[in-house]
Amino acid sequence: MKLVMNTKAILGVAFFTTLSLSAASHAAPPDALAGKVKAQTCFACHGEDGISVSSEIPNLAAQPALSITYQLIQFRGQQRKGGAMEALAAPLSDQDMRDIAAYFTSLPPPPAKSGNADQIAKGQQISSTQYCNSCHGPQLQGQKHIARLAGQSKEYLVTQLKNIRSGTRIDMDGTMGSAARGLSDDDIDALATYAASLK
Amino acid sequence: MKFNKKNSALDALMLAAGMAVVGLACAQAPAPAPASAIPPTWAQGRTADGMNPSLAPNPPGISAMPADEIPVSKLKVPAGFKVELWASGMPNGRSMTESPSGTVYVGTRFTGNVYAVVTKDGKREVKTIAKGLHRPNGVVFTNGSLYVAELSRIIRYDNIEKNLDNPPAPVVVFDALPKDEPHGWKFMTLSPDGQYLYFQIGTPANIVVPPYTHATIVRLNLKTNILETVATGVRNSVGMDFQKGTKELWFTNNGRDWADENLPNDTLNRLARPKGMNFGYPFCHQGDFLDPEFGKGRSCDEFDKPEMKLGAHVAALGMRFYNGNMFPAEYKGNIFIAEHGSWNKSKKSGYQVVRVVLDSKNKPVKLEPFLTGWLEDDKFWGRPVDVQMLKDGSMLVSDDETGAIFRVSYGK
Repeated sequence: MKLVMNTKAILGVAFFTTLSLSAASHAAPPDALAGKVKAQTCFACHGEDGISVSSEIPNLAAQPALSITYQLIQFRGQQRKGGAMEALAAPLSDQDMRDIAAYFTSLPPPPAKSGNADQIAKGQQISSTQYCNSCHGPQLQGQKHIARLAGQSKEYLVTQLKNIRSGTRIDMDGTMGSAARGLSDDDIDALATYAASLK
Repeated sequence: MKFNKKNSALDALMLAAGMAVVGLACAQAPAPAPASAIPPTWAQGRTADGMNPSLAPNPPGISAMPADEIPVSKLKVPAGFKVELWASGMPNGRSMTESPSGTVYVGTRFTGNVYAVVTKDGKREVKTIAKGLHRPNGVVFTNGSLYVAELSRIIRYDNIEKNLDNPPAPVVVFDALPKDEPHGWKFMTLSPDGQYLYFQIGTPANIVVPPYTHATIVRLNLKTNILETVATGVRNSVGMDFQKGTKELWFTNNGRDWADENLPNDTLNRLARPKGMNFGYPFCHQGDFLDPEFGKGRSCDEFDKPEMKLGAHVAALGMRFYNGNMFPAEYKGNIFIAEHGSWNKSKKSGYQVVRVVLDSKNKPVKLEPFLTGWLEDDKFWGRPVDVQMLKDGSMLVSDDETGAIFRVSYGK
């Protein structure tokens, strides 16, 4: 058990006096242009066009905005770890995250990847029996805070599914853990090939 | 009461697949590779010709809205009452409890944190006293210790009040609870005699014949560490409180999904007998609605009835009796219930705190909105989870979407 004291929000009396003035204004809407500026650091790995430079790094183009925000929040909180993302997310505010997400979600989706036809067919079959579509959408394009899988790097998907299966990667509400638990390495390979082949 | 943790998960899996009999019989056999998995919990029981299949759960609140962005002015209370932002900066803050010194402890479901809100010289400070816990949703303070209910264990932080900036390592009190994730987070409360922790073990699915350990309310004896079942047939209760005077436990219960947009109701229930009551799940819901599938050949007469229907899919969570002296006299003994709000209704409902009035015979006779405004034009900006009465007679309401706590007071 680690004790961490890093969340300390102090609410003073002064705050309440200013509240009536500020309550009328809302959170700044996500700003893709500001996001592009804030995302400069991201480009070295994830690409300015949201297409990553390496197969172990995820494409972010056309990811649902909330799915990007949620992952950044979990990296910042060190609940999810990997690729030095914990350190990179540490200084980001919620607004930074919303802006960055707005930028990447606005980009054209990654192209469909070719793959072994048998593997793709097998992956489609497993996707159906595992109910992947019920959360990730009919074409695995993602929705709300659920990640887009279509056109994602196959290698990245394989790594993530294995990490979720082993518990190495955080399972936010138990859904992905129970979905991945029964998958063999071959199943995972086929699923990832299928998802990567979608547009 | 013993749990076989591995098998209970397996049972749940197989039961959900409709293999009720087989599942129990082969629980000891090695698990074969599943030919077909089960849908995610929220989608279980959904039929193609049933409710709108595009409906899916709301993303959980996992970040905190900055204090100056929280639109507290949108919240409405009856005339004479006032609502204010009391504390913020607690991602996913949910269940609350107040210690005798006035510290409010707050559990979470998705962020793994436990917070302490301390008021000093009129200023409020939020301290994160625990991180990395597994769904620490339940909090109880007694005898100088904070008890936290995680998904599958109860832990305790001794002498916590003097060590909020450097909390001790927790003591594991009980760690043999089932590990099913669906409905695995706990609401926890202390019995009036201080001897027992009461909490629920929710059903591990939407609609399923649960293992005998599940869909229950249980209590843990703090002296003997013995766990007992006090009620069965309770799908998932995420709010309970003992009534002053009668010392009876009242609790909310969440109805099943995908039967109908307007059925069954979430319910308010009373534990009229200390043991042996069965509230019907999965066979009968809301006391008079036979399950379309599991109700065949059964009758609702077999089961105990709820005290009140609260509305379908409103997600009635935290509930507490009002025993304070600040609100007007007609509020004395009322029940306040936080409705987290629907996700599988075409038109959203809930997203408010309601007031339940009991008559002189202790029967609920009136249900009315009390604190509203989180929902506008079928969109929500916040979701109330728990209500907690403070010693001064005011009421706190937690909101896990904004990561904030609001305070309702009367007069002045």
